[in-house]
Formats: sequence, structure tokens, C-alpha cells
Amino acid sequence: MINVQLALLKREVLEHRAIYVMPIVLGLIVCLSYITGQVTVSAFDQAVDMAILGATNLGDKERAAALSVGLVATSSFFVFPMLIFSVFYMLDSLYAERKDKSILFWRSLPVTDTETVLSKLMTALVVVPLVTFVVIVLTHLCVLVISSVWVGLRGADAWHLIWRAAPLFDTWAVTLIVLVALPLWLSPFAGWFLFVSAFTKRSPLLVAFLPIVVLPLLEKIFFRSSLFAEAIFERSARMPIFGDLDTAKLVLRDSEEMHAIAESGIRLLSLVDVGRFLAAPALWLGLAVCGLFIAAAIYVRRYRDETWI
Amino acid sequence: MNSLVVARNVTKRFGDFRAVDNVSFEIEKGRITGLIGPNGAGKTTLLKAILGLTDCEGELSVLGLDPFRQRKELMRNICFIADVAVLPRWIRVSQLLDFVEEVHPGFTRKRSEELLAETKIKRSAKVRELSKGMVTQLHLSIIAAIDATLLVLDEPTLGLDIIFRKEFYANLLNDYFDKERTILVTTHQVEEIEHLLTDIMFINDGRLVLNTTIDLLPERYAELQASGDKADRARQLGPIYERELFGKRIMTFEGVSRDRLQGLGEVRTPAIADLFVAKVKGAAA
Repeated sequence: MINVQLALLKREVLEHRAIYVMPIVLGLIVCLSYITGQVTVSAFDQAVDMAILGATNLGDKERAAALSVGLVATSSFFVFPMLIFSVFYMLDSLYAERKDKSILFWRSLPVTDTETVLSKLMTALVVVPLVTFVVIVLTHLCVLVISSVWVGLRGADAWHLIWRAAPLFDTWAVTLIVLVALPLWLSPFAGWFLFVSAFTKRSPLLVAFLPIVVLPLLEKIFFRSSLFAEAIFERSARMPIFGDLDTAKLVLRDSEEMHAIAESGIRLLSLVDVGRFLAAPALWLGLAVCGLFIAAAIYVRRYRDETWI
Repeated sequence: MNSLVVARNVTKRFGDFRAVDNVSFEIEKGRITGLIGPNGAGKTTLLKAILGLTDCEGELSVLGLDPFRQRKELMRNICFIADVAVLPRWIRVSQLLDFVEEVHPGFTRKRSEELLAETKIKRSAKVRELSKGMVTQLHLSIIAAIDATLLVLDEPTLGLDIIFRKEFYANLLNDYFDKERTILVTTHQVEEIEHLLTDIMFINDGRLVLNTTIDLLPERYAELQASGDKADRARQLGPIYERELFGKRIMTFEGVSRDRLQGLGEVRTPAIADLFVAKVKGAAA
């Protein structure tokens, strides 16, 4: 059972190489922009260059804060593309196999429809975020190495200025928690997308998003309420994991707030409230909705009889 | 238990339409059965029921299992090739072998590699880079390396040229078939597999119109080529079907002894394709 699941997950990664190619490309973009940014800045003013990179004129606390902001910004750079990719992945995953009829081959092997559909869900909710996390960690390391070389070339002590100051484990722990929690929080959407992918006969993207646009409009017209729209917006915007922090603002990178957090010298990890997240009824309600959609997707893949006529 | 497939009054409805209509048959171990019928006759629906891909009414047991409800167990012991195009196009040959090895307990990779070594298929090639014939070879090399009891083939050589078709069936016999294994095959090109079959089933409008072993065909069926008076006399013996070819009357008889036909013209066992036409058109007449 576990071996079959691993084989299925491996198959998903092989089929959708963008799972690792996309974050790697993003990581390269980040590294490249660090290099070009540094070169450009130093071309204008060496003092500014050192202030930004080595931050020799900052105290330990401020330097750690500045690095923390930089690392978090790098992490968050990956999140939105990851979510967009996941949407496309899920809409494609049970649709493409029907379109190219390879479903007939997959179903000729001793693998159940439940195992297959769960492997697609696992890929979206676990594999994609974990691969992204690994690439984020590598990107952080690359960026720090680039900065260290730069600082070192100018005769400063990179170990002291950068490596000792950078709150790496703090940032990584928070990044990992967010990357695990976010897909769970957004799981009802994941369930919906996989369900659409399993049943639609054409254009899964349109079929998936049309109800999300049309239903709130109908609700507004006929019931003069906007419960559906609010439910969707609330779920997209506010994940109850950051204590009192407004995640919507954080996503938009409200620099003032980020600076305030950073300068106060508190650890990022202390801002994360996993207990509150796990205790939130909305999380479990969302997972239940996801479960219903997944059950429906399995049912459709199992019972519908449309291919191979 | 020698019967691998037992069907009793199997019916599959789509609304009021019966794609498979009250069909009963058994397929015994070690046989190669051809399921023959025109398009829309219910062949594929019946195969889907046997493979557990669709539910049906009546009693259907495959390898002692309920195919629809015990599909995973069934798929350990059944292989099927539905059409040549079903292998995923994005996958590499080596990745495909890896995957099957990981999910199929009955797959012997070494055997598959040996069979592939006899072809021009490279392990690093993607399925989309292979010709249609090569994809079929690849599929067969996987199937032949799976220790399955029953192999179901639905038009496995559709769209292939004659050389690949001949090769496919030769390989099927050489690499796959033995007394422990059983094959159920449908095809339009029945002449090409006629010599392989041990049993035939004709299906038309969802009903089985013939179910017999090949050995029994000469006893039960005869084809007479006659002309003039002799044709008139032969007609009195009640042919199930009659057609004309180059000015001669060709009549197909069922259950009429050859001794009675002998003096009336040239007697032989009908080819399966001709017998099929006789059964289907004769019944309609």
C-alpha cells in the first residue's frame, strides 16, 4: 500500500516536472536578482552597497532583522506561484488521463481509484509544498553565499556579519509550518479542483472558476446576501495561524509591519500559533469539505463509463 | 475450477437500450477465445464488465471474483490491452518499467527487458517518440512479463500495418501464451487470428449468436458451393445463409451432415468471417 502510494507520487513528479523545475527557476531568479542588485547598487555607491549587504553600520539586532526580512521575502516569493501551479496541476491531473486515454492503462494495473485520486491530492497538498520548501532553503543558502562572497571580497567578515546574524532556522521553521498549513487551509479548493478535473468533459479551468464567480452573483441577486463570497474570501485571505497578525497584509508584504516585527527582535516562530490553527473549526470544516469532494472525484473515476467506447 | 470466466444471464442496460442482453458463457483455462461482432454489438461493453470497469446485471465471475467489486484483486491476475494508444505519452520506457515493477506484484522486469532487447525500443525513449507499432511492442513486452492468468485484448492491433500485426500475434503466442494462461481477444481482422483461436463467440445486438470451440466447427457447419439444379436441391436442406460468388451459389449449413451435401458441389468448413456473416445475416433474414 505504501509502496504503491510512493510509486504513484513518483509518477506524478515525473509527469509534472514543473513541480521541481518551477521553484528551481524561481530560486535562480532570486539568486540572479541578488547578484545583479548588488552589482548595480555597488556601481553607484560603495557605502550603500555595504550598508545593504554587510550591514556593517547596523547593530546585531537590526542586522538580524534586516536579514530576516530578506529571507521571509524570498520565501514568500515562492508561495503565490506555487499556489497557481497547484491549481493548474489539480485541474489537469484527472482530466488529461481521460483525454489521452492513458486512464485505460493506469486502470489495467492493480491500483485502486482511491489510491490514484489520493496520490494526486497528496501531490498537491504535500509533495509540491515540500519540494518548494527544499528549494527555498537552498535559495536562502545560495543568497547568503552570494552575499558572503560579496562582503568577503570587500574585506568584511561574512561569518560574523551574515551567517551568525541570519535567523535561518527560525525562518525555515516558519516557512515549513506555513507551507504545510496553507494547503490544509485551502484544501476545500483542492478538493473542488480535483473533483472538477475528474468529471468535466471540457475546459476544467472554466468549469472550476465559473461557479466561484457566478454563485456569489446569483446569491447577491436572489438573496441579497454574500455569504458564499465571504466564505471564499475569508478562506483565501485569512489563515488563523499568525496569532493576531493579519496574513492578508503580510502576503501583500506590508513593509511597515514587517519592519516593526523585525525590529522588535522577536522570533518569527513566536508569531506562529499552531495550536490556534489546529483548534480552528474552519480548518476541520474545510478538510471535511475537501473529503467530500475527493470522495466524489473517486466515485466519478470509478463509476463513470465514458472512455473506451 | 477450470472456468476462469463464468457469465450467467449477464445484461448491461443504458436506459432502455441493452448493450449486452442476457448473455451466458464460460471461458476455460488455457483457451484462446475470439469475441467477434460488428461495431456496436456489445463486445467492448462485455469486456468492460469482465474487467470490472462497468457494473452489470446477472451473475459474472472472473477468476472466482466479482470483477466490479474486487477489481484490485482481479487486476493482479488480469492484463488488458484496450487500444494501442493507451500508454501515457509523456513517460519514458525505463520509467514505465519502474512504475509497473513498483505497483504490480506479478511483474518480472528482467523478462520484460529481455523482450525489449529484441526490439529497437530504447529505454530512454519517451512513448510519444515511438511509432504506433513500437508502442504495441512495448505494451506487449510489459504484459508478457506479468504473471497473469487472463489476458484481455480489445482490438490490440488496430491501426498497425500488416507486419506489426503478424509480429504481434506471433510474439503473443511465443512469449505469452502457455497452458496456464488464457486469452480473450476481439478484433475486426478475424482472418488474421483465425488459426490462433481455440474458441469463438459471436455477438450481435448484445446477444451471443454462437459460442463454440473451433474443433467443433467442421462438424456443425459446412459451406457448399453449388450451381444450377444442385443449388436448388441444396436449398431444400435449409441453409442458414446463401450468397452468390462468381455465378455460383454459396450456402452455409448448420447441423447438416456433409454426406448429404457431398454430391451437390464442393463442401468445406466456412471461414470464421463468412460464418459470422451467415449467422448474423441469416438470423436477420
